[in-house]
Amino acid sequence: MSHSTRPPFAPDSLSVAPKPSGRHILAIDDETSILELLTEYLKAHGYRVSTATNAAEAKHVVESQAPDLIISDLQLEDTDGLQLVGQLRVLLPATPVILLTGVLFDPLVIENNLKWKISAYVSKTAPLQTLVAEIKRLIG
Amino acid sequence: MSSDTPPPVPLADPTLRRVLVFFTLILGVLIGIVVVSLRNLNRSIATSDWVNHTHALISELDALRPNLAAAEGELVRYLHTGDQRDHAAYQEKFADLGESVAVINALIAGAPDEKEQFAPIAALLARRAGLATQAVQLKKAGDTAGLQKLQDTEAEGGDLPELARRLEKLREKQTDLLSARDRASFVQAQVTRWTVLAGVGFDFLLLCGAAWLIRDDLAARRQAARLLAQTNSELEEKVRQRTAEISAMNAQLVAQNLEERWAKQAIEHQNRYNLLIIDSITDAVFVVTKLMNISRMNPAAVHLTGYEPVDLVDKPLAKVAQLADADALRRTFDVLARTLVDGHEMRSQAAVVTMKNGDRVAVQLNVFPLRDRDKVVGGVVILKSSAPSSS
Repeated sequence: MSHSTRPPFAPDSLSVAPKPSGRHILAIDDETSILELLTEYLKAHGYRVSTATNAAEAKHVVESQAPDLIISDLQLEDTDGLQLVGQLRVLLPATPVILLTGVLFDPLVIENNLKWKISAYVSKTAPLQTLVAEIKRLIG
Repeated sequence: MSSDTPPPVPLADPTLRRVLVFFTLILGVLIGIVVVSLRNLNRSIATSDWVNHTHALISELDALRPNLAAAEGELVRYLHTGDQRDHAAYQEKFADLGESVAVINALIAGAPDEKEQFAPIAALLARRAGLATQAVQLKKAGDTAGLQKLQDTEAEGGDLPELARRLEKLREKQTDLLSARDRASFVQAQVTRWTVLAGVGFDFLLLCGAAWLIRDDLAARRQAARLLAQTNSELEEKVRQRTAEISAMNAQLVAQNLEERWAKQAIEHQNRYNLLIIDSITDAVFVVTKLMNISRMNPAAVHLTGYEPVDLVDKPLAKVAQLADADALRRTFDVLARTLVDGHEMRSQAAVVTMKNGDRVAVQLNVFPLRDRDKVVGGVVILKSSAPSSS
């Protein structure tokens, strides 16, 4: 499992970024390069980030240190991201979830089919600023 | 700090030199005052000694005539009484007189003028003593006539007036000298007083000058220190601002770099994802140029035609796919080419695929223009397998 104990790779210069809010975010993606980028960027914006590359790791993080927000990919190595989100939501019903995926969804599909599972949908092709804006909107 | 701020004032050396010059002058004046004062003090002591000496001389001179009168009075009494007690008194008085002369001689020992003046007086006194001795001898010898003759001679005048005149002259001279010394002493005291006052005043002025220089120097130093502190403060503020700017720029660059890495990764991810989708399609998919040459084909196309991509890339699509109606072949591919020019789709055209092994397969042909923004840059040809045709 690789959550907050992952070796730091954020440069010190990022410390001049906005003050840390200390909010805890769990990022789930089967690609470690994606997780590294997300961690670096979110830490630079003051968030505390845990990462998981599969469902088991994600559940362990949720049980050991409940996150304030979950960011999940759709396609994971061992399960469906939406299914995992559904399981995590049982444990943390009030925790917002952002679906971060390369699969392009129709907004109508999001509204009709996924609204009950996820709080927001962000395409991986969108800038990271968009993701941070969604995070700020959801947890500040 | 603005660019017109005056440069720091050069300090220390000139001011220090000036202050040292001032203090050297003050020291010189003080030494001068001490030298002059000591010299005048010595002069005053010498003058005082001389005055005492002169007063003693005058006192002795003043005592001469009364002593002489007293001695001669005792002599006259003895001459009348012949009493030995009067003789002893007469001798004692003349001895006192002789002692006074000896004292005066001692007092004027170093003064040639006084010695010269006193010599006739001493001689007159000696003469008077000699006459007294002569009278006593005549008395003792009982020579009354001789004694009477001696007394008559002296009664006519003698040398007493001369003695009195000379004594008075000597005394006046000493008194004049005393007055002159007194005036000189007063002048000397005044000179000493004014020398000390002038020196002290000059030193005070020099001290004021040195104090003014030091005050001026301190003010310059304080101003320089203020300027330095202000410059340092402004420099530190600039450094803080510049550091903040650089830090912000750095953070921005890092964020930008992360965004670029994220975008690149997203594109790669999306591209890989799309290719996987295309490769997983069971229909044969060809990507063609506007000239209908094949640029890409999916695994289903390999499976359908038996050709590998190396066999067909940059080859005309017509090599593997023809319309089923031979007459329509030319027309259709003209239409197909025109479709790519015009950007229209073409769907479900019956066609035949000639496989690598020569077998022929009936397919449905669909053409979709491939657009890059508003331009058609090629097309996607999808061949859907239908019933096999005879070879």
